[in-house]
Amino acid sequence: MQCRDVEIVVEQEGLVPLPEAARAHVAGCSRCREFVADLAIIVSIASELPAEVEPPARVWVSLQAQLELEGIIKPSVVPAHSEPSSWWHGFSDLFRSRALATATVGLLIVAAGVLQMRQPPDASLEAERSVAGPAWQIPFAQTAKVLNEQEIDLRNMQLADTSAVDASFRQNLQQVDDFIADCERRVNDAPQDELAREYLSNAYQQKAELLSAMMDRGGSVQ
Amino acid sequence: MGMRMVNLSALRSDVKRGMLPLLGAAAFLYSGLPAAGAAAGQHLEKHFAVNIRPVVVIHNVANGRIEVKSWKNPEVDIVASQTSDKIGFDMEQVGDRIDVTANILNPSAQPHELEASLQLTVPEETELQLKTETGLIYVEQVMGDMTLESVAGDVHLKEVSGYIIVRTTEGSLVCTQCAGKLDFKSISGGAQVLQPALTNVSLFTTSGNILFDGDFVRTGLYTMKSGKGLVEVRFSGNDSFDLKAQTTMGTVDNQAAAYLKPDSHGMIHRASKFTKGLFGTVGQGLAKVELSSYSGTIRILKRD
Repeated sequence: MQCRDVEIVVEQEGLVPLPEAARAHVAGCSRCREFVADLAIIVSIASELPAEVEPPARVWVSLQAQLELEGIIKPSVVPAHSEPSSWWHGFSDLFRSRALATATVGLLIVAAGVLQMRQPPDASLEAERSVAGPAWQIPFAQTAKVLNEQEIDLRNMQLADTSAVDASFRQNLQQVDDFIADCERRVNDAPQDELAREYLSNAYQQKAELLSAMMDRGGSVQ
Repeated sequence: MGMRMVNLSALRSDVKRGMLPLLGAAAFLYSGLPAAGAAAGQHLEKHFAVNIRPVVVIHNVANGRIEVKSWKNPEVDIVASQTSDKIGFDMEQVGDRIDVTANILNPSAQPHELEASLQLTVPEETELQLKTETGLIYVEQVMGDMTLESVAGDVHLKEVSGYIIVRTTEGSLVCTQCAGKLDFKSISGGAQVLQPALTNVSLFTTSGNILFDGDFVRTGLYTMKSGKGLVEVRFSGNDSFDLKAQTTMGTVDNQAAAYLKPDSHGMIHRASKFTKGLFGTVGQGLAKVELSSYSGTIRILKRD
């Protein structure tokens, strides 16, 4: 492995833990050691910035959902079917950056939340929704799609760790996935069950936060 | 000449024989030194003078306990102990903010080499931001807002007050005699709130159990939700609250029917046809209590 390869690995996969080959190179290369040390300092300082500058996206998601549930604000109208399909094709590129991935998932949940909240429970609109296509029939379908892609990306990372923390992350991710599947079945059977929808929404938020934490840690779900 | 060479050769041989045990002993001692140091553990203690209401931020990436207690002194005392030299502590003070970060110095370190505990003594009024992965977070007798995050470690709070935010992946919360506001979220961790004086409580867990055993403060708001777990509330006969309990697939176990009256505020509450619900009022209904579970049990009972 050469210096350039180390830069590419760091750029694509983050600092900790470095793959074995990169670690071996860094151990014998003073230039790369300095590079990795500088980056570690920058990452460490940068990780403290968001808390002071701007709250994470999930805070806004929870706030918006809560305000809408309490009827304090009304959800804005976002026509889901007007989203251009090409927009989704660009997501694999977006997810190359972990920070962007986290932010994007947050935005998606906002969009999904708005989408869900604008669905009135009356029967005529339920009927209209049932013939509108798959995206309407499956609640949070778009959020689910993006989160599942993100989960697959994590699985494909060759950074499997056997630590207790990674094991905990994997185990809890499985629990959330199982719970999502359970809630989805219920919501599909009874689309007007507000409580089930609320639990499904919360489960997706938890999944997004969990995946974000796993990516931050550089671990794997394998 | 020949004799002299023989003598020199013998001398060299003698020197070699004499040095070998010494070198061997030195090598043995050298190899043993780091291990002995690691086994004995390493301690680091620092004191930071502060003015009023300091903010203490701790990020412990290692495995280990974070314990915070209070004293009357305007000083933050930190004792860090670790099992190996593969973890390093960075501590810095900027005004009344103190940052402590445990860093992994050697990425190839084994889990048992990454154990580091922190023991803090802080002024009674201190704000805390503590983050750890697997160790217990224990906070006692601290007044101030606090954010406590853990992956697999439990969080135990005793006699703390403020706006308390707890986030865990699977760690559980035990909050004894807490006051102020409590916001808990977890995936599989449970929450026990015992003898509280909390005015605002929000507990959410996907699969953990929730237990609230204590009084509801008048005008307080209490929300407790568990996806699959048990939500149990034990109230006292003097309490005054409106209750709304709902579950989609679970059950509501009302063991306090004698105390629960129909809502006296004129609002008619009815569970939707998709959920099982229980609505009622205890006393005058001054506090608001909302309980829900997707598939678990909600149990309401009066304490003896």
